[in-house]
Amino acid sequence: MAAFFREVARRVFAQELKDSNLTFRDESDQYAPQYLLTPTGAKVNRIFLVGTLIEKEDIGTDSEYWRGRISDPTGSFLVYAGQYQPEGAQFLSECELPAFVAVVGKTSTYTTDDGNVFTSIRPESIQQVDELTRDLWVLETAKDTLNRIKDLEAGEDPNAKLAKEHYATDAAFYRSVVKKTLESLKENV
Amino acid sequence: MRQIAESIKDRFLKLGVDVPMEDIEERLDELITKFKVPDNEAQRSVVNYFLKKYSIPKNEFYVRQAEPQLSKIADISENGQWANLNAKVIQLWENNHESISQVGLLGDETGIIKFTKWQHAELPDLEEGESYLFRSVVTGEYNDRFQVQLNRNSSAEKLSEPVEVQGGDFTPGPRESELRNIVDLEGDNQWVTVRGKVVQLWENSHESIEQTGLIGDETGVVKFTNWASSELSDMEEGKSYLLKNVVVSEWNGRAQIQLNKGSSIEELDEDIEVGTSTFTYSGAMVDIQTGSGLIKRCPECKRALAKGACAEHGKVRGEYDLRIKAVLDSGTSTQDALINREITEELVGISLDEAIAMAADALDPGVVLDRLKQELIGKYYTASGPKLDRYLLVESIALKDSLDSELLEAMLAELEVE
Repeated sequence: MAAFFREVARRVFAQELKDSNLTFRDESDQYAPQYLLTPTGAKVNRIFLVGTLIEKEDIGTDSEYWRGRISDPTGSFLVYAGQYQPEGAQFLSECELPAFVAVVGKTSTYTTDDGNVFTSIRPESIQQVDELTRDLWVLETAKDTLNRIKDLEAGEDPNAKLAKEHYATDAAFYRSVVKKTLESLKENV
Repeated sequence: MRQIAESIKDRFLKLGVDVPMEDIEERLDELITKFKVPDNEAQRSVVNYFLKKYSIPKNEFYVRQAEPQLSKIADISENGQWANLNAKVIQLWENNHESISQVGLLGDETGIIKFTKWQHAELPDLEEGESYLFRSVVTGEYNDRFQVQLNRNSSAEKLSEPVEVQGGDFTPGPRESELRNIVDLEGDNQWVTVRGKVVQLWENSHESIEQTGLIGDETGVVKFTNWASSELSDMEEGKSYLLKNVVVSEWNGRAQIQLNKGSSIEELDEDIEVGTSTFTYSGAMVDIQTGSGLIKRCPECKRALAKGACAEHGKVRGEYDLRIKAVLDSGTSTQDALINREITEELVGISLDEAIAMAADALDPGVVLDRLKQELIGKYYTASGPKLDRYLLVESIALKDSLDSELLEAMLAELEVE
């Protein structure tokens, strides 16, 4: 069915999102959804993450424009919320730091003049959650990432192939990232 | 050549026309000798020439030309063929299309086939139960089924001897539609047979609809519509039926079934258990959609109101309700879930009355929605219940309350090895 379908919210660690720089659309139409392909082959339009909000700042000049930094076991995500993300902006303006937060949002990228690509997230929703939810997310994201690494090695999935071609992904490196997150979880349990 | 000329002359004589032999021979000779036309082509061309000259309708000539080769219905297996059939009119269907004069089923001892008699065929009306010799009908294929069409060149001649129809008058053996599970129903205009229990009858004010509601079997529930024109008897809520030869159609991506004149309803003695197959889905709640929270429903049809008006009944005094249209997301798929008032109250810990009070305090029902989002979004749930098209109708939902340490250990062990 070519009708509307909802983009799945992918689970990707901050480290991997930071390493991503390949964006594309499935169709040439300017309204077609834009995807970000990560080094392990996650095709991300929507993302779901749970982490610790560690910084927030209103960087807007005329109107409020909030930037939040959310950390996970591997690094941090940047979330930007302005007038078009009223729920996210309101949350960031009111919340106290630090806090466990769950973010549903869309990835966006920014390319600097010298060709570096920065990834960030425009939130559809930010909610405060508890520590267990954060741990559940880490475990789930570890599992999904590991599955993607296996697909990458199998080399059959088209996204995996493309990712390998573009990034020459070092599977061992991302395995070690996953392992680190799992070990951090184990210490807490 | 002489032979061909004679046969042509003979046939025209039978129609009461005496064509001079010299004329026939002259034309034939020109074609065959001078223009190297094959004999049969030449013959046809000459015949057509004289038909035109004497204004004899083509079909009259060809029909009389020889006894037609008769086909059997079961042998019809090609598109766009001309065929002659001895068949009985088993059923005439309701027909609303102005270019169609009659439509229904024909049968013979080998099978049953749909026929369409076009308006422009200008043939007399066929009678149900009568047998006819159909000449020059055209075979066609639609949705993997064959049918025949009666057009301007066709004819129907009533037979005095009835044609035997296989399996009695109307139990089309091999062409009877397949019994399907409700969950498997899909596609457009498929004929199927379904057994199920009438779960709900809806109020219906449309005069062309006899009954409409939901029917379910062990695998799922589907909407049905029994058209008034089907002339079928009513079904009762809670009873189980075998619905033969119903049409599956799709609307807004969901399947529904329609009962028409060709369908039949058989009451069953058994009590079919409905929708025992429940689905379970685990994932993070990533969205709560508009239309959630404190809503108003139409007191007549229970549909949610939009701006105080019901799509069916217009402006009504709505009744308050609480519900959630949630999206759960596992990271590899998403699932829409409908959470009713009872379960919403339990899940969020606010009752309908409290929700109404909250809304009244804030002069805004939106505060209830905000509260739901605050409580639920971003957390992990496992929900289960039956599935109705794209929605999981949540019967139970639980917050994930512990980390799967086994999974953690297993993954660590796996990474350790490598």
